Amino acid sequence: MAKTIIDTHNVSKTFNPKTIPVHAVQNVHVHIEEGEFVALVGPSGSGKSTLLNLIGGLDEPTAGSVIINGIEITELPENKLIDFRLHNIGFVFQSFNLIPVLTAKENVGFVLQLQHMPKANREKRVLTLLEEVGLEDKINSKPSELSGGQQQRVAVARALASKPKIILADEPTANLDSKSAANLLDIMAKLNKEEKITFLFSTHDQRVIEKARRVITLVDGKVASDVQQTPL
Amino acid sequence: MLFQIAWRNVWRNKPRSLVVISSIIIGVWAGIFILSFTWGLYKNNINESVFKQLSHIQIHHPNFKEDNASKFTIPNTNEIVKQFKSDGRIASVSARVISTGMITSPTTASGVKIYGINPDSEITQIALNKSVVKGSYFDSGKNNEILIGEKLAKKLKIKFKSKVVLTFTNVNSEIVSGAFRVGGIYKSKNISLDEVNVYVQQEYLRELLEFIPSESNEIAILVKDEEQLDAIKNYSKTVVPKGKIEDWKELSPELGMIIESFNLYTYIISGIILLALTFGIINTMLMAVLERIRELGMLMAIGLNKRKIFVMIMLETFYLTVLGTPIGLLIGWLTVTVLGKTGINLSMFSEGLASYGFSSNIYPALDQDKYVIIVTMCLITALISAIYPAYKALQLNPSEAIRKI
Repeated sequence: MAKTIIDTHNVSKTFNPKTIPVHAVQNVHVHIEEGEFVALVGPSGSGKSTLLNLIGGLDEPTAGSVIINGIEITELPENKLIDFRLHNIGFVFQSFNLIPVLTAKENVGFVLQLQHMPKANREKRVLTLLEEVGLEDKINSKPSELSGGQQQRVAVARALASKPKIILADEPTANLDSKSAANLLDIMAKLNKEEKITFLFSTHDQRVIEKARRVITLVDGKVASDVQQTPL
Repeated sequence: MLFQIAWRNVWRNKPRSLVVISSIIIGVWAGIFILSFTWGLYKNNINESVFKQLSHIQIHHPNFKEDNASKFTIPNTNEIVKQFKSDGRIASVSARVISTGMITSPTTASGVKIYGINPDSEITQIALNKSVVKGSYFDSGKNNEILIGEKLAKKLKIKFKSKVVLTFTNVNSEIVSGAFRVGGIYKSKNISLDEVNVYVQQEYLRELLEFIPSESNEIAILVKDEEQLDAIKNYSKTVVPKGKIEDWKELSPELGMIIESFNLYTYIISGIILLALTFGIINTMLMAVLERIRELGMLMAIGLNKRKIFVMIMLETFYLTVLGTPIGLLIGWLTVTVLGKTGINLSMFSEGLASYGFSSNIYPALDQDKYVIIVTMCLITALISAIYPAYKALQLNPSEAIRKI
């Protein structure tokens, strides 16, 4: 039996609780096992990004708890939480994903440097990762010199750099054309299959949903459905 | 890596960074220039007072200054002067006979301070010969020659070679008068003194005051190296044990205060300039933080802790300052060096400056320690200015920051 890697208990998030409360996420129970490839879907404002932020420890829940890989992250102090994220969770955002003043190689290596990995090992790993996402010829390009799809692939490489257990992706294909989106999804699916990395991504994109093996639908901050499917 | 990111961030918006660097350059330069100009002005005033009026050390009878009476004299001044002249640390020494009285011209009269001088001694002492604008400097060979200031001459409506009468009291408290002929008219940098001080031959004034030979009221000493001032002051006590020995700061406390106040001005002027700089840097760095909120959020999300974010923003400010300060320092130093040699000619304000004892040619000057103070204050200011923007960055919540448009 696979290990539970993401476990939320009655997690809720309310914005502006003292003025006009907005219940972005309400009593959500989600259990995701190691190696799953999960799509989080739902209309705009349904709480997808908020739930991802809560699972990633970027935001504090108003109620409930989030357990990642057996550790209740909602109980961790801020600095330990940052450190936990650094070693356990990779992030891919919709945009503003990369550090604009660094090259692709430096962006990927940045996370490893934060982990104090020796230079020789770091460079080797960075090159391997950029090769995996098909960007071995763009290692010295800055984000402004890369297309949107290429930037997202660098972001995936960076998210993988610290060998995280989980990658959380918030609408990773939203700003990409069909070809780039398909390419990115293929890379994600391959990494999921080969390296057993758990992927949880929010999306509106039907092509992405079709690639997922499990689809959780949120409506008004609540889980409306949670279904397993055979990916295309 | 943080150093690298901070350095590259500085150059993300080149025009903005160049504006900040330029403002730092101008701030440092302006601080140096204003302080060097002010110090030049004061130094000029101090030099005028010391070298044209007071000398470094003066020795009097202990009661002389209280009563301002000629009867309080120092005996055997010829011997004393000889002894001082034999000391290699002393540049010049002269004895003076001093009295106060009235000068009367055919049309009017005025109160004056009468100096009985040895003309040769005063050439090296206060360079009085260089201030003569009409007539000559005791060249006639007559003992009743008098040198008066241009302003006094105008007041008395007299000219070169006019006759005047000096009236004063002698050592026996009797009123005596002497007729003098204007042998020369001088104009110094201190107009107010030109109206009061008159100079006559020492021996003749001694005679009129009924002094015994070699008696004087004042011994003035110029030292070669001002660092030796205290040592020579102490030495003077052994030469004239009963005399009251004062250095120029004691003789003219306001000059001493100038130096004290200048140190205060250093901090006030630097403070004002740096305050302006502070707001410039805060504004720029705050903009740099606010326009990068999403990026900072992303950095926090991927594992950069808040301490490192803080250090990164501080480093960006530090780089801007480190780029600007040496250039400002260099330009400031060059300005002071060049203008310190050529001087700044303020002849259009010469009359106003002269009434306060200032020369119209100002030579900016600044001690090394003042440069160090300016640079240190600049660096501290920059780092303090960066604290608020860096603190704002620390307040960011990664998820909110990422959501920001």
